[in-house]
Amino acid sequence: MKYFAGIDIGSTAIKITIVDADKKLVGSKTSGSGSMFYKYAHETLDTLLAELSLTRDAIAYTVATGYGRKIFKEADENISEITANAIGAVAAAREFGSIKTIINIGGQDSKAISLDDEGNVVNFAMNDRCAAGTGKFLDACAMNLEISVEELGEKHFSATGTPLSINSTCAVFAESEIIGLLGNSHSVEDIVCGVHYSIAKRIVKLVKRVGVKEGIYFDGGPALNQGLVHAIENELGKKIFIPPYPQITTSLGAAIMGVDSYAYQNLENIS
Amino acid sequence: MPDKEEIMSKIEPHAIETPAQRQNRHKATEAITVLNTLKESFKKPPEAMQYFYDLFLEVYCRQKSLHSDKTKVGTMCIQIPSEIIYALDCVPIRLCNGFYTDDEIGSDLLPQKACPLVKASVGHLASKNFSDKPDMIYSPTTCDQKTKAGSTIESFGYEVVDVDFPRTKESEISREFFRRSIRNFSADLSRKTGNKLSAKKLKASISKIGYAQTLYHKLSELRKNKNVPILGSDMFLVTNAFFFDKIDHWIEACEKLVAELQTKAQEGFHAAGKVSPRIVYTGSPPIFPNYKIPLIIESSDAIIVADETCSSNRMFNDRVAVDEWFVNDMVDSLADKYLKACTCPVFSKNDDRIRRIVELVRSHNADGVIYQAFAGCTVYELEQRSVLAAMEREGISILYLESDYSPSQQGQLSTRVEAFIESLKIKNRKKT
Repeated sequence: MKYFAGIDIGSTAIKITIVDADKKLVGSKTSGSGSMFYKYAHETLDTLLAELSLTRDAIAYTVATGYGRKIFKEADENISEITANAIGAVAAAREFGSIKTIINIGGQDSKAISLDDEGNVVNFAMNDRCAAGTGKFLDACAMNLEISVEELGEKHFSATGTPLSINSTCAVFAESEIIGLLGNSHSVEDIVCGVHYSIAKRIVKLVKRVGVKEGIYFDGGPALNQGLVHAIENELGKKIFIPPYPQITTSLGAAIMGVDSYAYQNLENIS
Repeated sequence: MPDKEEIMSKIEPHAIETPAQRQNRHKATEAITVLNTLKESFKKPPEAMQYFYDLFLEVYCRQKSLHSDKTKVGTMCIQIPSEIIYALDCVPIRLCNGFYTDDEIGSDLLPQKACPLVKASVGHLASKNFSDKPDMIYSPTTCDQKTKAGSTIESFGYEVVDVDFPRTKESEISREFFRRSIRNFSADLSRKTGNKLSAKKLKASISKIGYAQTLYHKLSELRKNKNVPILGSDMFLVTNAFFFDKIDHWIEACEKLVAELQTKAQEGFHAAGKVSPRIVYTGSPPIFPNYKIPLIIESSDAIIVADETCSSNRMFNDRVAVDEWFVNDMVDSLADKYLKACTCPVFSKNDDRIRRIVELVRSHNADGVIYQAFAGCTVYELEQRSVLAAMEREGISILYLESDYSPSQQGQLSTRVEAFIESLKIKNRKKT
């Protein structure tokens, strides 16, 4: 049996997904990127292979993606995370229906990707100018509020009244805004809710730039945060689909791309 | 090509550099990095490109003067007719600048959020690091920032003359307005230099620049072929040299380049890969060494086959149409060309620009358009919407990017460009 690996080296986490020749998910692993992308990527791959009782020889084709993609020299191919994300989302949402819009919130950027009927990228918009509206922003807010990122979701739903507004377009200044709100004895819950809405507004602006179409998919680590999902759904006025493992969509896409590229190249070699 | 060490060996260890030395070192680093990338990161460049690589190295790393024997007329924008300057025995030097080092100097003098091109041009004049210092500067009142930059530059001790430029181009009033403005400009330069504008000389300079345009069009024709013999980034270097080079040398070098590329084209040489998408580049101009976006595009397995920018196509595309070869008629015809044919987004209505982009996409068989706007270049930012909508109507894929002169952001920008290029490749694959 041949296996295919998708390696997504992001700013915050390394995500590795392995699929079989039928593009079925075999296993995945996530670890922190830290400062040594290359080393950690290899370690993560080895751990994952060991868990699946596979060896490197079983991997027929590897596709790297994410900001660190070029560092993983052993990859057979590397593609941008936008293309990989689109392929992965279409595959992950197969049972859900057809996907037309992808929202991705990563560690250091956020994206909205618009797809055509065949799942090809037709347009995309990115916020990579500042940390507001990214995973890093959530990290910073949680730290300020002395809670863990995992707690953000549940705090959101205990908020009372109208969500507070956080207007700053800069993550650093947003931090001082949060400190200001704390100083005015607002509750942590209300602030968390405000933070989620401030990210949601930003994301919705991004989505509007590529066009809001039915079939909205949300991935990236922050999609695990139910509070944020709720805020985005509210701002959009539409239901969004969250895959079971939102963090690995892009690496899944890379692995699937590997299956196709492998087939395409071997076809070429024969003919 | 010398490496950085050679250029920088002048610096003694532990010696504290003067600001000028430091700026020159930074600028030399910027220049060499780009030149080396052009030479080494792609297929072997045409031999005739060596002239241009050497020229930029001499001018920007060794501050070699090219025009010590002539009156040097600095121009702040594209709309000052070079033909008139040459006919008055002067040399035009276009001051639009692409150095991040100069942009940083300019940032202390202009608002932080101003356009990097304007900041760099002002910073360059403030730094006094010159191969050829302009004797006087003519500043067409095009965009707000360039218009206002004039007075800042004046405060450094330069003589800056405003050349009135209308923001509309479709009316007869604006045409008459700019004709008068160019008549004033030529009278002013004639008075300052003591040289008389003669019909013979003006006709000769119109025909010389016309010939330079012919050479550009020959290169452009070659880029329409399936196999494109030259990278877009190299082409930007060639047209960029026209800003300041000795015109006869430039013409000679271009003749060689055309000849070599014609041979290469016959041999079926292609500067990019087999499936590299073909790109039309538009927006804020790439000016040496700010070739950030062109280089990202071409190192992401695509090739720029044409452009719609004021550092290249816009300088060469349209000819002067002269009715009668009398001095006044020629001056008026020049004014018309520099106004009517201009596709700068400063104009209230600018459908010409959209038409030009579509035309270039069709004639060069391009797969998509990449539109760059400098952060702070308001007019290109403003025009983004209408251009994007027009491309959508025409069924042309387009990517809009915002960038500046800073060397950061490469990762983010290349992700966008690569994703766009991948989507073009997938489209092409499905077409076949």
